[in-house]
This record gives sequence, structure tokens and C-alpha cells, in this order.
Amino acid sequence: MLSITLAELAWSFLRVGLFGFGGGFAMIPLMQAAAVNEYHWLTMKQFSAAIAVGQITPGPVAISATFIGYQAAGISGAVVATLAVFTPSILAMYLLARFYLRVRADPVVQGMMHGVLPVIVALIVMVALGLGQEGVASLWQVLVVAVTVLLAIRARVPYVLLILGSTVVGMVATLAGKHF
Amino acid sequence: MSKPEKTDIAAVRTPASKEVALVYLKIGTVGFGGGYAVMGLIHAELVEKHGWLDEQRYQNMLSLAEMAPGALTVNLLAVIAYRLGGVWTMLIATGALILPSFLAILLLAGVILAWQGVGLVQGALAGLTSGVVGLMLAVAWDLLEKFPRHWYYYAVGLVALAADFFLHLNPVWLILAGALAGGGKAFFFSRRGGSAGKPKSGV
Repeated sequence: MLSITLAELAWSFLRVGLFGFGGGFAMIPLMQAAAVNEYHWLTMKQFSAAIAVGQITPGPVAISATFIGYQAAGISGAVVATLAVFTPSILAMYLLARFYLRVRADPVVQGMMHGVLPVIVALIVMVALGLGQEGVASLWQVLVVAVTVLLAIRARVPYVLLILGSTVVGMVATLAGKHF
Repeated sequence: MSKPEKTDIAAVRTPASKEVALVYLKIGTVGFGGGYAVMGLIHAELVEKHGWLDEQRYQNMLSLAEMAPGALTVNLLAVIAYRLGGVWTMLIATGALILPSFLAILLLAGVILAWQGVGLVQGALAGLTSGVVGLMLAVAWDLLEKFPRHWYYYAVGLVALAADFFLHLNPVWLILAGALAGGGKAFFFSRRGGSAGKPKSGV
């Protein structure tokens, strides 16, 4: 049983790593498709925790794979998911480093990148709306979303501060809800 | 291509793979939060402090890293490590980069999954979710700058949005379709001036 889950983790996260064009956030829709929709390793709430944890720790968003792997199959799951999610990146960089002059000059390759990015934007927006529908219910949460968007776009506040800030707001709101 | 003299001196000093791995371990430990914050740290460490590559080379590596799938920071650091010392250095240094966050995640995953029923943890998770939703929308907004401002690409995005909403396709298919749409356009129209194919970059 465990080895089947490990194989599924490896297969899923190799795909996540291979198709996540446009930076770490591009991997989030792919991770959701695999971990929540396809294999049901996590609930939507746990998935948002996985993404959030990827933000408060140092290192890239892709590290959320570790959380998902751990939830699916313990420590060995964490190791397999982590290795799988980073393998395509490293392989791609190796190949690009060797052949990039030929690849980069090709207008069709450029065009492919430009066609992928709008799709990534659409997918990220859809995941954000899905997470919001599931987990953003109170007024204070809507405010946190709005303030986060503004601070990230306008003031370039580091992601980790925004995530820590919203966590603290969540804890305060819960305590306040209990006592008043 | 002639390089400035200062660069030649810097390029002579090739670091050992252990040295690269240690610097990457540091970046992996203090490089919180991804995105622009970490890019600044990488630049400060590798270009300014250690002088392992010059500005021109750094920009080349960066544009290379943007072409590959996955986290920009990992791609960038992997290719720089490869240039500095080959495949082994790339593997060891990238491993060192990821190790600190891997351990931190395991710790946090244990705590969150064990205590997800506790009220305060639920409140924290509710706050976290809101923050993540906000961040994702902000990142989507930033990504809009990375493809050309042309109706065709906005149409591709809208079609993807509709297809995802109504058909619930696996994102992999949508990404492949996007590559086909963009690549096809370049293939058929690249001879006609190609001004539409120019990215609005320089951000």
C-alpha cells in the first residue's frame, strides 16, 4: 500500500515540477489537481495550510510538496515528493545550460512561453477563488485578502511577513470571538 | 565578447563545490518567503559578496531560469552552481539549498496536522488561508506583466479560465494547449514583423 502511494507521489510531483512554468506559484494549481482532486491526500483546508507553510518557511513554494508528501505517506512520502518536484527543474536547467543559445533564439519557443503564462494566470486565479470559497467566510478574512493583495502589489512587502501577519490576525480574531 | 577587467579577476577564482554548498545552505536558511526578497539575497551573496559571477552573467542566468519550469530561485541557483562546478556541484548545492526548508516543513506539518482540531490553530489556519488567497491574486497580477500586451494572449487566458471552470480539465492539458496556442502563433506569424511577440519585459 505504502509503495503504491509513494509511486503515485513520485508520478504526481514529477508532473507538477515539469509543467510548473512561470515560477513556483504556477505549481499550485497542479499540486491541487493531484493532491486534492485526483488522489485525495488532503482536504482543501489542509491544502491551503500546505501552501501557507511553503510561504513561511525559507525556500521556494514548491516545498509545499514536502507537506503534501508527509500527509500522504509520512517521512518517506515527504522525501519522495520533494525529490520528484525538484527533479524536472534541475534537469531542465542542466539541459538549458548546455543548449540554451539555440533554444532561446527560437521564436516558437518564446511563443510557447508567452502562450503558457496566460493559462498559468487563469489557473492561479481559479485556485485562489476555490480556496477562498472554501476557507474565506468571515468579514475579517475578506479584509485580510484585500490588504494582502494591496501590500504585495503596491508596497512589495515580503511574502513571509504577509503570511505571518494574516496568521496573527486569524489567531486574534479567534480569541476575540471567544471572549466577546 | 570582451569583459571588463574586474570580471576577469573574479572569474579566475572558481569556488570549490563545498564552498558553493555552504553559501546555498545559508541562502536556504535565511531566504524566507520566495520571490523578490530572495532574489535580492541571491544577488547580494553571489554577485556582490563572493563575486562568483558578474552582473551580465547573472542576468543571463536569470533569463535562462525563467524559461524552465519550477521555482525561479531554485532554477537560478541550480544553473549558477552548474556553471561554477559542473553536475556534482549543482546537485550538492541545490540539495543544500532545499534542506533547511524541507526540515522546517516537516516540523510544521507535524504540528499543524496534529493540532488542526484546536481552536487557536483553526483560527491561525483561517488567517493563513486568507493570506494565501491574497498572495496568489497578487502573483497572478504580477504574471500579467510577463507576456505581451496583445489581445491574443488575453483571449488565451480567458479561454483557459472558462475551460477550467466548465470542463474541470487537468491543468496539464490547459498548459499544453497554451503552449500550442502561443507556439502556433509564433510559428505562423513570426515573419510578419513580430512586434506582437515582444514581451513587455524590463520589470
